[in-house]
Amino acid sequence: MDHLTRLENKSIYIIREAYYQFKDIAMLWSVGKDSTTLLWLCRKAFFGHIPFPIIHIDTSYKFPEMYQFRDTRAKEWNLNLLIGRNEEKLKEGMGPGQGSKLDCCNELKTNALKSVIKKYHLKAILLGIRRDEHGIRAKERYFSPRDSQFKWDYENQPAELWDQYQSMVEEEEHFRIHPILHFAEFDIWNYVKREELPIIPLYFSKNGKRFRSIGCVPCCSPIDSNAQTIDEIVEEIRISKTSERSGRAQDKENIYTMQKLRALGYM
Amino acid sequence: MKLFKGKVKKALIIGIDGVPYSLLSTYLQKDLMPNLKMILSQGLTLHQMNASIPDISSVSWTSFNTGVNPGEHGIYGFTDLKPNSYSLCFPNSKDIKAPTFWEILGKTNQKTSTLSQKYYNKIIHPYRSVIFNVPHTYPALPMNGILVSGFVAIDLKKATFPDSTYTYLHSMNYLIDVEAEKAKEDKMEFMKSLFECFEIRKKAISHFFAGEPWDLFFACITETDRLHHFFFDASSDKENPYYESFLRFYVELDKFIKYLYEQFVERYSEKGFFMILSDHGFAPVKKEVYINKFLEEKGLLVLKKEGNFYERVENKTKAFNLDPCRIYIHGKDAYPRGTVREEEKTDLLEEIKKILRTLKGENGDEVIDKIFEKEDIYHGPHTRMAPDLVCLPKDGYDLKGSLEKKEIFGYNVFKGMHTWHDAFCILPSNISFSKKPSVEELTDYIIQYYSQ
Amino acid sequence: MIEEKQSLPIIIVGHVDHGKSTLIGRLLYDTGCLPPDKFSEIQKTSEMLGREVEFAFVMDCFEEERSRGITIDTTQTFFKTPKRRYVIIDAPGHKEFLKNMITGSSQAEAALLIIDAFEGIRDQTRRHAYILGMLGFKQVCVLLNKIDLVHYSKDKFFELKDQATDFLKRLNIHPTFVLPISAIRGDNVAQPSEKMSWFDGPTVLQALDTFESLKVEEKPLRFPIQDIYSIDGKKMLVGRIEAGRLKRGENLFLLPEKKKVVVKSIEKFLKNDVATANFEESVGICLKGRHRVGRGRILAGDLSSMISDSIRANIFWMDARAHQKGETLLFRCVTQEIPCQIEKIYKKFDPASMELIEEEASSISGAEVADVMIHLKSQAVVDPFNDIPEMGRFVLEKDGRPIAGGIIL
Repeated sequence: MDHLTRLENKSIYIIREAYYQFKDIAMLWSVGKDSTTLLWLCRKAFFGHIPFPIIHIDTSYKFPEMYQFRDTRAKEWNLNLLIGRNEEKLKEGMGPGQGSKLDCCNELKTNALKSVIKKYHLKAILLGIRRDEHGIRAKERYFSPRDSQFKWDYENQPAELWDQYQSMVEEEEHFRIHPILHFAEFDIWNYVKREELPIIPLYFSKNGKRFRSIGCVPCCSPIDSNAQTIDEIVEEIRISKTSERSGRAQDKENIYTMQKLRALGYM
Repeated sequence: MKLFKGKVKKALIIGIDGVPYSLLSTYLQKDLMPNLKMILSQGLTLHQMNASIPDISSVSWTSFNTGVNPGEHGIYGFTDLKPNSYSLCFPNSKDIKAPTFWEILGKTNQKTSTLSQKYYNKIIHPYRSVIFNVPHTYPALPMNGILVSGFVAIDLKKATFPDSTYTYLHSMNYLIDVEAEKAKEDKMEFMKSLFECFEIRKKAISHFFAGEPWDLFFACITETDRLHHFFFDASSDKENPYYESFLRFYVELDKFIKYLYEQFVERYSEKGFFMILSDHGFAPVKKEVYINKFLEEKGLLVLKKEGNFYERVENKTKAFNLDPCRIYIHGKDAYPRGTVREEEKTDLLEEIKKILRTLKGENGDEVIDKIFEKEDIYHGPHTRMAPDLVCLPKDGYDLKGSLEKKEIFGYNVFKGMHTWHDAFCILPSNISFSKKPSVEELTDYIIQYYSQ
Repeated sequence: MIEEKQSLPIIIVGHVDHGKSTLIGRLLYDTGCLPPDKFSEIQKTSEMLGREVEFAFVMDCFEEERSRGITIDTTQTFFKTPKRRYVIIDAPGHKEFLKNMITGSSQAEAALLIIDAFEGIRDQTRRHAYILGMLGFKQVCVLLNKIDLVHYSKDKFFELKDQATDFLKRLNIHPTFVLPISAIRGDNVAQPSEKMSWFDGPTVLQALDTFESLKVEEKPLRFPIQDIYSIDGKKMLVGRIEAGRLKRGENLFLLPEKKKVVVKSIEKFLKNDVATANFEESVGICLKGRHRVGRGRILAGDLSSMISDSIRANIFWMDARAHQKGETLLFRCVTQEIPCQIEKIYKKFDPASMELIEEEASSISGAEVADVMIHLKSQAVVDPFNDIPEMGRFVLEKDGRPIAGGIIL
């Protein structure tokens, strides 16, 4: 069995297992390449009929190409698409220009997701997170419990023994499941190529620039690149030393540092 | 205990974060710490000591660790701004610009300082140290011996050197720190967690103390600082529900100091060098004082609505404050939106000093005790980044650097605040001071010991 | 260019100070898998400490890189020979870390056990070896490291080799090789050593190249049913082939009932006319006729499975809370979930000392290993671990938490 097929089969197993364990489950789709890969794997797992909703958290600041892509796919693939928006904050004018970026992400993304989870009484969410994204994430497991405050008790991880995934859910907890944890960045690209998956054209170079990851327009900057095909992108990744979220690991450490200082009154 | 001139050199240094001289003296007098009392009768003397300025742990311990002032080591606080910008950063061990005493003694230092220069060529062979839970040593940098970083440390793997240290600590579920975030939710639980953390700390310290070869052993207890932040009001008040627990902590501390001391003496009898110190004192908090709000009201600080932290500083700003009370002139040459010209600085400093003196508490009492200009207190190659003014408050007024408060005075969950003037040190009695010592002066005695 | 080279996951265990990190660094360096900039970083750090190049720093470098988000390949470390790629499953080593180590080990197919030739067998050596035995590692290579410290002595090597083989035999481990090496000097790791002309065995790399990739073996089919889907009017059984392969039209047995069934079709999304499905594939199956099926049933190619409600196994307790007699636990093996109780504890061991703690014990506590009889509420379908590992390993859960892992003997 070749490498990609092995990764694919493992993901399908995890997705099916998650669906069995949690009836109230949904998939979070950011419309980027990773979560679109996850969406495709879900289609495979359920033979084209995904039995749960697909959630898109819309901050309203996304690229127009992304909205277009999302709606076309939703129709084509017959998705039960739920769109989560923090209408309240958006009405107040929340955006990256108002207050801090941290606050904006918190309100428009995190809190919007929290509301959706609450509204639909979801017990688990499928996410397109990869293990190689950065250091601290490397400690995530396939099935990761999360309490309602969206923190994770990193030391207290359930042992994932021989593909036995844990399913106990308490009151306020919800599980985050990562079926593509074992895919590396270039695995995703190779898989996209092999399956001929449609992805947003912004990933490919135009006028000497392309996007490595696609978020909200005001906070996303393109990189210099001439890669116009997947092979070129993969080659570029090989050569470049910075991962798609380089610097994020230090950011994460800084956030923890800030939290610790704040708890003692230093910030 | 004498400074021995023989061949075997061993030093034991115990740091207890935030323990005030006055509290310690009281407990000693009341016979609440009989072991420490006994130790003091064996040729050691207790002195009151000044902390670093500002009197926070990252600066003070770094001053002790390097034996120089911030003008040489470059650490002025837990937070700082990146040069020529408004970006907040968190200086860590890599930003310390002077060598630590264990680097000097271990002959692994790559930087130099007035202290290392003084002993250049006087350390005959490298000495191996165990440095345990000392604040502001994260990430753990390679050195001659074993290092476990103390606060602020995020990742245990990065907080340990070498590999096997991490392996051991991870296996015994070592805690770098208690979770201070939990103190707000449940004080009782938090108090419990302090004791639990202390237990683990003691166990780990004992493990390395007994099992590792070392020439110098330096371990810090940091639980005391947490204890004081949240429970200082219980330190002398019998009616306080946490009084018993507070005392019990000191009793356990006393026992642990005895344990280490006895082991040390047993092995090295009179040849060893013994020291205990704290990095600052503590006093009960009356109120928090938000200096930036004060500066705003006086028209010295103008902030934009949007942006993170100091990104909000507008060009009209003349000065702003970083935690606790480090005031920086918004100079044209130093900041992108700065407008204060070089020739205006002297007058502006005077103006600010005058204004600060007008800051009064509820009863009309003064908030600010001392005000220093940077040249008064900092000397060395890294004074350019130093704050233009540093203030020390009167006990009870805790100065803060928050940019988000709506009032100048406020309350918080904390019961204790740091003090500069009330730290302590315990040293061999043949070391005497002509005036009250400062924390960075002690280091010289350690290196001296090894160089004789 | 897509990387299709076969890879073999391995684990390197042993006492933490016996040179594991140095060995990893050496393996990477000698196979050209250590990027030059990393090597110079290590050189610099080592120089600063007045030491020779410490390959052990390699692991720190990767760790640092990972935490700074720079490494984009996998977070696993790998080295290669012309034959294939070896992925080192990172597993720290100390007894309380049993939980994570099990999770790490379970993905590896071969193990290198490092013993310091100068210091000899230590507690951790024993414990790790015990776990290797428990997990049924058949491909084990013992490395007697730091052979330079015993002056490359032939006698010393053979003496230690006997000791090691002896002690491992008692754990049911029969190492394929016992090799003298010096990771720090590079003797016999990638290159044979000039200082050990008396040794005619392979280098570490050569030894590894002889190992088989376990997954290729032909075994009788085991297809545990994961779920049932109704898609387009068809009733599909979905699951993963845990052993062997599946053919359309094939006759199979539905266990535990031992009912005979026939495979009508094999379903894969967007693929028509699938004739076979192979090991590790997650597929859908439609059976001819109507049958009562559900998750937890097993489709098997033969009747060689053990079908019983009493199972004898070796378990290792992972929970901090001790087991209490009579406690009801959940037995989970592939997709089977059956309530059970530990009926009898024959023996209990402390893996570190390999000492028997108690016979006929009444409880088991954290990090202990026990030989037990488990009684299940209904029959389970299992295979001996050494025959079909996927059907011979299980987890015991309490309140949704895995508290013990086990192997069926």
